[in-house]
Amino acid sequence: MNDPHRDTGAATFTASHDGARDDVQLLRRIGQGDEDAMAAFYREHSRVVLAQALLVVGERVLAEEILQDTMLAVWRGAGSFRGESSARSWVIAIARRQTRDRLRSRRLRVVDDAFLADQPGSDPGPEVTALDRAELAEVMAAIRELAASHREVLGLAFGSGLSLPEVADVLEIPVGTVKSRLTAARSALCRMLNEKGQNR
Amino acid sequence: MNAGPADTRSPHLDLGDLIAEANGQPVDDRAREHLAHCEHCRAEADRWDLVARGVRGLAAAIPETAQPARPGGPRHTRLRVLTGSRRRAVLAAGVAAALVLLGAIGYGASNYVHIKFGTGGTGGQTVLTAVSGCAGLEQTAGTLEQVNGTSLVIKTASGRPVTVTTTASTFVSVSGALRSLITDGASVMVRGPRSGGTIEAAIVTVGQPFSAVNPAGYVPVKGTVSDASSAGFTLVTSSGTRIPVTTSGDTLVIVPHASLGQLRHGSTIFALGHAGPNGTLSARAVAAVSQFPPGGPGPFGAHLHISVHMRVGGRAHGCSPSAIAVALAMGG
Repeated sequence: MNDPHRDTGAATFTASHDGARDDVQLLRRIGQGDEDAMAAFYREHSRVVLAQALLVVGERVLAEEILQDTMLAVWRGAGSFRGESSARSWVIAIARRQTRDRLRSRRLRVVDDAFLADQPGSDPGPEVTALDRAELAEVMAAIRELAASHREVLGLAFGSGLSLPEVADVLEIPVGTVKSRLTAARSALCRMLNEKGQNR
Repeated sequence: MNAGPADTRSPHLDLGDLIAEANGQPVDDRAREHLAHCEHCRAEADRWDLVARGVRGLAAAIPETAQPARPGGPRHTRLRVLTGSRRRAVLAAGVAAALVLLGAIGYGASNYVHIKFGTGGTGGQTVLTAVSGCAGLEQTAGTLEQVNGTSLVIKTASGRPVTVTTTASTFVSVSGALRSLITDGASVMVRGPRSGGTIEAAIVTVGQPFSAVNPAGYVPVKGTVSDASSAGFTLVTSSGTRIPVTTSGDTLVIVPHASLGQLRHGSTIFALGHAGPNGTLSARAVAAVSQFPPGGPGPFGAHLHISVHMRVGGRAHGCSPSAIAVALAMGG
């Protein structure tokens, strides 16, 4: 991997979150009603939560509402945090539930396993060559057009700083299923890029 | 990786390794060595890396979230603060403490005017501390004497009356101790400390746009007003959560898009526009700051800065911060 563009541009967003101990302390203080701790937690995690919500719902206003409700839930539920997962995966799981509720009310689906089961398996299809030829801007545009379920798993895997087991915890599915969803998402992305390439 | 001694599966890297590689996370030596020699896996790693960068690129493209500000933290770089003799007491709000964005419509466009009021740490009277982006516009400031239809009559610091005319497109904002402007059904953003499940409102913004900047330690909460009274209201969030909010005479209420009917006699007016006939000012933008009770808003400390971002449209020349300061020094 000698890509000279690697790790440029969005490094601060993708850097792994290594303040786990601090987060536990913050959540403990939040549980005791410490507003400074809440503000610090908000600073630490709001951008990632907003980015993930925005990736899934595609609407800034709605994503901000999800962020707000997520942080309200953190404020109210911090005392129940047991430290069995990282704070990052905990807050993203809350955000995911908020997102799911919002989309459900709009009669949209976040994850539909039946839909995902119909997607191609792990073998690269012929469309993968479209990905090999694609520019970053084209990939970004195509990701925006993916189904919410695909955007969600891609965002969790690459935009939230979570490990695959943590993504599995958030989605409440086995790690193997996370991998199959990621593969399905990439296949859908490849098909979209291929279609766009043919239309040019 | 799948290539353990008893492993009969694919010899290539496991998806978990490829994802870890794309995320810059550590992979074991065996996987790294395999990657160095396997063209298939390198191609796969490159594909996942491109997907990962696409996701990160989208995330990096979003604007900053409403981040709680910290004392001493970064300030709006567009605002140039004037100091010393250039400060001129043009407003009498007598408020203190926190950074507030009033009517923040956008950043970076040439047709936005950024005006900053503040106490500058001296306490007492609020002063104009900076103006930028005010290209070719005239300005005036003073105390509101009366509203005649679409015109305002203000008295400048020198005692001279000035008529400010407005149109439907004039941007009007108000701020101050204006609890009466918080009414049922209004879309608001509330900032303030919490006590139990109740928010003690320090700042309530009524109507969009909501500021992206917060006083230290406050997490903004948006919702709709219900059961409004002089003592507070219930904030109903978009998810239906009901949050009790208390207000007091110290609560700073901001209405980014106000009507002339919401202006209060005696409030301090700052108007920008073009010179009209007979010494009038045809205003593109009007900012009104109402008087707080003696002692100022309690939740705040010693420093208040109100930044007004007015959309005025068009380009012109000759309204630099120093020109504003000189004009103010000459008596408005």
